[in-house]
Amino acid sequence: MTTPAPSLPEQTPQTGPRKVPSRAMLRYILRRLSQAILVMLLVVIGSFFLIKMAPGDFVDTLAGTSDLTAEQMANLRARYGLDQPVPVQLMYYIARLATLDLGYSPFNNAPVLDILVKRWPVTAILVVTSVSISMVVGTLLGVMAARFSGKPVDLGISILMLLFYATPNFIIAVILILIFSIKMNVFPIAGFATIASGYTGWEYIRDVAWHLAMPVTALCTFFIAIYGRIGRAAMLEVLTLDYIRTARGKGLTERRVIYVHALRNALLPLVTMAGLQVSALVGGAVLIETIFGLNGMGRTAFDAVFQRDTNLLLGVLFVSSLSVVVVNFIIDLLYMVLDPRVEIK
Amino acid sequence: MSTSGHSVFRRLLRHPSGLVGLLIIALVVLMSASAGFIFPEGPWVLGGRPRTWPGVDPAFPLGTDALGRDMVAALFYGARVSLAVGAAAALVSLVIGTLVGAIAGYYGGWLDDVLMRLTDAMQTIPSFLAAIAIVGVVGASLSTIIIAIAVVSWPMIARLVRADFLRLRTYDFVQSCKIIGMSDLRIIFGQILPNCLAPIIVSSSVLVATAIITEASLAFLGLGDPNVMSWGTILSTGRPELRSGWYMTAFPAVALVLTVLALNLIGDALNDVLNPRLKERKS
Amino acid sequence: MTQKFPTVGRRSFLAGLAASTALPLIAMPGKLWAQEPRAGGTLRTPAWPAPSVLNSAISTAGPETFLGPKMFDGLLAYDFGMVAKPQLATDWQMSDDGLRITFNLREGVTWHDGEPFTAHDVAFTFMEVLKVHHGRGRTTFGDLLAVETPDDLTAIFVLETPNPAMMRALDSRESPILPAHIYEGTDILDNPANTAPIGTGPFKLAEYEIGSYVVLVKNPDYWEEGYPLLDRMVIQYVPDSATRAAMLESGQADAVFLNMIPAQDIVRLDEQPDFTMDTRGFEGMPSAQQMDFNLDNPILANVMVRHAIAHAIDPEWITQNVWYGLGTAGKTPLHVDQVEYYTTEGVPEYPYDLDRANELLDEAGYPRGDNGTRFELMLDPSPWGTESITASAYVREQLRQVGIDVTVRTQDFGVFVTTVWTDRAHDLVLYTVNLGVDPTIGTQRFYWSESYRPGSAFTNGAHYMNPEVDALLEAAQVETDPQARRDQYAEFQRIVMRDLPVMPITNIHGANIASTRVHDHTVDALGVLGGFTRLWIEE
Repeated sequence: MTTPAPSLPEQTPQTGPRKVPSRAMLRYILRRLSQAILVMLLVVIGSFFLIKMAPGDFVDTLAGTSDLTAEQMANLRARYGLDQPVPVQLMYYIARLATLDLGYSPFNNAPVLDILVKRWPVTAILVVTSVSISMVVGTLLGVMAARFSGKPVDLGISILMLLFYATPNFIIAVILILIFSIKMNVFPIAGFATIASGYTGWEYIRDVAWHLAMPVTALCTFFIAIYGRIGRAAMLEVLTLDYIRTARGKGLTERRVIYVHALRNALLPLVTMAGLQVSALVGGAVLIETIFGLNGMGRTAFDAVFQRDTNLLLGVLFVSSLSVVVVNFIIDLLYMVLDPRVEIK
Repeated sequence: MSTSGHSVFRRLLRHPSGLVGLLIIALVVLMSASAGFIFPEGPWVLGGRPRTWPGVDPAFPLGTDALGRDMVAALFYGARVSLAVGAAAALVSLVIGTLVGAIAGYYGGWLDDVLMRLTDAMQTIPSFLAAIAIVGVVGASLSTIIIAIAVVSWPMIARLVRADFLRLRTYDFVQSCKIIGMSDLRIIFGQILPNCLAPIIVSSSVLVATAIITEASLAFLGLGDPNVMSWGTILSTGRPELRSGWYMTAFPAVALVLTVLALNLIGDALNDVLNPRLKERKS
Repeated sequence: MTQKFPTVGRRSFLAGLAASTALPLIAMPGKLWAQEPRAGGTLRTPAWPAPSVLNSAISTAGPETFLGPKMFDGLLAYDFGMVAKPQLATDWQMSDDGLRITFNLREGVTWHDGEPFTAHDVAFTFMEVLKVHHGRGRTTFGDLLAVETPDDLTAIFVLETPNPAMMRALDSRESPILPAHIYEGTDILDNPANTAPIGTGPFKLAEYEIGSYVVLVKNPDYWEEGYPLLDRMVIQYVPDSATRAAMLESGQADAVFLNMIPAQDIVRLDEQPDFTMDTRGFEGMPSAQQMDFNLDNPILANVMVRHAIAHAIDPEWITQNVWYGLGTAGKTPLHVDQVEYYTTEGVPEYPYDLDRANELLDEAGYPRGDNGTRFELMLDPSPWGTESITASAYVREQLRQVGIDVTVRTQDFGVFVTTVWTDRAHDLVLYTVNLGVDPTIGTQRFYWSESYRPGSAFTNGAHYMNPEVDALLEAAQVETDPQARRDQYAEFQRIVMRDLPVMPITNIHGANIASTRVHDHTVDALGVLGGFTRLWIEE
């Protein structure tokens, strides 16, 4: 099995504490928390210097789209503190960040937080839906392949997985639009929901689901392939373990052995993967959000880079990194609570 | 090492998916190697009538693009660039990742902590976003693209290598090396590293594949190097023509998917071929 | 729902049009069979990029320019051929010396918040906002000394020197009138009304989701009885141009304005019965693609080299294959749509001729080296749109044919602008730009020695200094005699094409493409940058 992102974290069960007393747990949580803060700080400083390394600032980009005089440009720079030395700007930024002030986005004429409050959910829904769907579909396909290992079903699924894995999501997105919107006109191409529709409740949810159908599909395929292949491998491994033989020996149906006993344990590596995939998905969302006109974190970051909207870019990186850290943290905690070995042994 | 490398290759050829993968990659390599001989004028010659469909003009069997450039020449030169980007980016990230992982795993302690937090930070930032930021900020040239891809892909290798080093450094043979006074450098590169090459080799094929896709994705967003013809460039210039000349998108897309697929098949096969040996050594 | 509307004004305006320009009704084929305009309905249009503010008085960027006139009015509007017609000003007179212009203002106009519109709003807007914060306003209204307001419905512009260009810049797109009672005494750039506009225009803001969409609704109290016809307009910001094209094609959008989908899609959809293209209404913003030579580069300072490069590049080829025919090959520094001043008479030409180019380069003292290369140049294409990048691939290949090794450097917006206009680290720069409704406003900045100002984007990037040209440009700035001004610009075109600091590539013909259900989005010179009061949509 090839693991396209084979970096399972070190906190897998063998090193993670198990059935820990609450004090040790608290210590562990504190340690993780301080690590997380350090990581976030590194992210902020790194991205800050990266964008400041770029020639030109947002005033230059603004001047490019609308004619500004040198005096108007100088005024704007003073207004947003861009006339200060870079290290000073960074200190100000971190000081403000400590009070959870993400600053102002001059290009959007709004506080960064106000913007992200609208855009985070778009990407979060996109990513969470994609992870969930690809986990379920991928795992089912993987299990099916494992169950019929070596048979035509296995071969068929494996080829499908290979294709899913090898086809970049933007190509899938373009094909989906061509088939389902231009030729068949069933799905809306762009946006998160019908604008100013006045929909509420279920109607609204249905509208959003309709809008997200194609983007989620395009984002999913690659991850279905990953989960499918990991699922298949994990399943094949679990199926050789003693307790499965015991279960079979007890005369349980094959279906029950597979879907109840084996799957439960094969799922754990998959959950770990889910945490790691979040950051990959946010990255992949740039293309998907661009193509499907979704105003999420990915596209926002993309535009912020080119508009030299430092605050907005840092805001996006900060919030999406924070989301990744939090998700991984929760997954670690889940591990501590549901240590699989206890049950296996 | 050369004999065992040779035998790995032979076993790879006997492996069905390995064989298919190698054949496809061999074809791509052949394309990129022969591009200069078959099309000495390069891929940019505005030789034909723009938007000639495949099969219409015998001089351009796969047609021409929107500016009248030969699709075949573009695909051949594209193979060269895409492969080069993939290989170079993979190589650079392998070097960085191996160094970071080896040092962190071998020495442990605060060095490990610092390097791993750095790795964490790199993995926390969505990698494609980071690549966009780097290319966007530094400017889209082939070397920037390669470096950007390498910078975002090394953490995976670092983790892999570190895990192996953590495990192997406690082994007897490492301890005995220390006792006889071997230098750390020699232990790291001469003793431990050769023993964790298998997972590195396996993941390198995935790295190449990911790098090729990343380059194409960057080009799709308009962040390709305009001076070289990569499959990503052909894709992004062909896309506006999708409705009137789908072949301009389809050919590079198929080439891209097949290559990535082949690299993946090779990775699978390598895994199958190398893993049993790993198990033998452990026992 | 169908209502009857007074059509007299409409007809007489069309009659005036036929006389003034060669763009009569015949230009529109049978697709647009006259039907009775209908009130109501929603127009959905995708666009990109999204606006920063919703006030085109303080930002001259594209998205603001499109939205502004829907919510704000100007003093004047312009019929095809840039013939002034009333908007907030009902009539106007210029004094004989050209230094005082009196505008009589429309009675009974109210702001969206119900306050009355007065001459004070006009004075405030020009003196405090447009002269200070508008990108081009500083130049256009530079010699506007004061706006006198003897009563609520009279505004008198007092000028230092005659300013013929100003009279072409008084529309809602270029000079929207802002409400003094909202802006006066505040920090204008920080005023919350910049994103929650209060205008006198035909539409009001209903919803604004930053970066995602804008919803405008009909202003029921608009001063022009019976207009606007539309109930609602939804502008959705979609970054990918192919996606915008797909939206239009699948019927999920009704129109795409201002070339916001790839040219090949515009041309392709226009051939289908369900869509129709309209290239009128771009005289207010004639855009062109041009290539500057950096004259500080010793090689490019040689005029023979510039002529050689001009011979090696065929603007007609670029116009046909990069712009898909939506343009005219460039022949002079002016745009063909600057009808009054554009001329090719006596203007030097550089026909496509590789042999001639090679000869000139040999003569200039740059023989081919051993590898066939004479010298190397850097080419910076503008990163917005794809046309300059595509065209740069052509330029690179053409110049390779004559032994010039060109490297194309694509950079993002900020870096591009800085490289060229601040650091001046460029050799060739290929970009698209608005040449202005009047040459003084948009064209002279590339040729006037006074506008060689490193640090300011889109100025004299070539570093062209010719006292003769300076004299002509400065004379035209204040020339009130139309014939004399035409002569000055004709001479300007001849000299500049001889010196060739800038090579014209394509005079872009803007295009709007809409479903055939959408009518009358373009009824005058402002085109879709007008107020859309006449736009109606079939049920």
